[in-house]
Amino acid sequence: MAASIRALRFFSDCTRNIYHVSRCRIKHVCCRAGITGCRGYSDSTEGRSTHFGFQTVPEEEKAEKVYKVFESVAEKYDVMNDAMSLGIHRLWKDTLLHIMNPQPGLRLLDTAGGTGDISFRFLEYTHSMYDRQQRLRAKSRQTPSWQDITEHYASDDAGPTQSRAVVCDINKEMLKVGKQKAETAGITTGLSWVAGDAEELPFDDDQFDIYTIAFGIRNVTHIEQALQEALRVLKPGGRFMCLEFSKVTNPLLARLYDTYSFQMIPVLGEVIAGDWKSYQYLVESIRKFPDQETFKEMIEDAGFLSVQYFNLTGGIVAIHSGFKL
Amino acid sequence: MSHALRTLATGVFSVQRSVSAQPLLRLVKIRGQQRSRSDGVKGSESQAFDVSLLEFLVCPLSKKPLRYDERSNELINEELGIAYPIIDGIPNMIPQDARMIHTTEKPTES
Repeated sequence: MAASIRALRFFSDCTRNIYHVSRCRIKHVCCRAGITGCRGYSDSTEGRSTHFGFQTVPEEEKAEKVYKVFESVAEKYDVMNDAMSLGIHRLWKDTLLHIMNPQPGLRLLDTAGGTGDISFRFLEYTHSMYDRQQRLRAKSRQTPSWQDITEHYASDDAGPTQSRAVVCDINKEMLKVGKQKAETAGITTGLSWVAGDAEELPFDDDQFDIYTIAFGIRNVTHIEQALQEALRVLKPGGRFMCLEFSKVTNPLLARLYDTYSFQMIPVLGEVIAGDWKSYQYLVESIRKFPDQETFKEMIEDAGFLSVQYFNLTGGIVAIHSGFKL
Repeated sequence: MSHALRTLATGVFSVQRSVSAQPLLRLVKIRGQQRSRSDGVKGSESQAFDVSLLEFLVCPLSKKPLRYDERSNELINEELGIAYPIIDGIPNMIPQDARMIHTTEKPTES
C-alpha cells in the first residue's frame, strides 16, 4: 500500500513537472528580458528575491537552502553523479582538464570543489606532465655528466615545479567527504581544503594561476559577485574556467533531456540517496541558469578577456573560459 | 484506467527497488565502513593545519593576513577582532561561523 501511494505521488509529481517546464520556459524568457532591460538602473536592496529551483525565495534564504541541499547529499554525492550522468560527468571533468592543459608548478583554486574531483584530476595531470617532461629531458641528454645529475637532484629538491590545488567550498560536509576521499586515495601533497564563500573568497589578490568552478556557480546567490572575486584572486594572465550545465540546442535532444531530468533524476535521488527534493532542486536550478551566450556576457562584464565557451554533449554542459589580463 | 496505471507504476517501482537499490546501497555502506576504518589510522596526522596556506589565506572581510593561534587552533584577524575556527585541519573562513574576540590578551576559554 505504501509503495502504491509513493508511486502515485511520483506520477503526480511528474505531471506537475511537465507543466512546470512548459510554463517556466515562458517565464524564463520574460525574466531575462526584464533583467537586461533594467540592468542600468539601480535596484533597491530590500526585499530582493532570487530563484531556488523554480521557487522564488528572498535572497537571504537561498544560501541556506542550497547549504541544506548539499549537506544532505554530501555522502552520496559521488555515487549520485555517476548514476545520474551514467558516468559521463567524469568525461566532462576530464575535458575541462584537457582544455586547461595545466603545466607543472601552477596554483589552482578549485571553488565549490566539494569532493575534490577537479583538484585530484589537476594534480594527476600536472604530475604526469612533469614526468613526461623529465623523460623527454632525460632522452635528450642520454649521457649526462655527474655534474648534470647532481644539479638535477638539487633542482628537484627545491621543488619549483610543485603544483598546488586549493579546494574551497562553502559546505563543510562536502569538504569532509572530499578530504576523506583524498586520504583514502593517498593524495596529500599539494592539496589544501578551505571552507569559504565564492562571493567572499578568503584569499589575497593575484594568487592563483587558474580558477575553476565546476557545477557550482549555479548555486551561488550573486553570480556577478563570485565572478568579481574570481578576477581578484587570479594572477594577471590567470585563467577562469567554469564547468556548468547549460542549454541544449538540438530540439530533439532537449526533449529527451527534459524528460530524463524531470522524470528520472528525482526518482534516482529518492532511491539512492533517499532525497527527492534535493534532486528536484538540482534539475530546476539547471533550467534557471543562464544559457551559454548570456553567461559569456556576464563573464565579459566582470572584466575577463577573450571569453569563449565549448559545448559538451550537445550543450547539456558547457565550459566557459576567460583570462585576466 | 487509473487502477491499471497504479499497478504498472508499483510494478516498475518495486522492480527498481529490488534490482538496483539494494546492491548499490550495500556497496555504499561497505565503502563507508572502509573509509572510517582508514580514517582512524591516519586521522591524527591529517588533522593538523597546513601553515603554508597562510601565504595566501586572508580574512574574507578585510582581505588582510591572519595570525595562526596554535593554542586555540584558530586564525585570528587582530584588526577586526575575529577568530576563524579550524575544524579537522580545515580552516572555516565563513564570517558567519567566526567568533568575535573581545580582548585579545585574554586566553580563550575553548
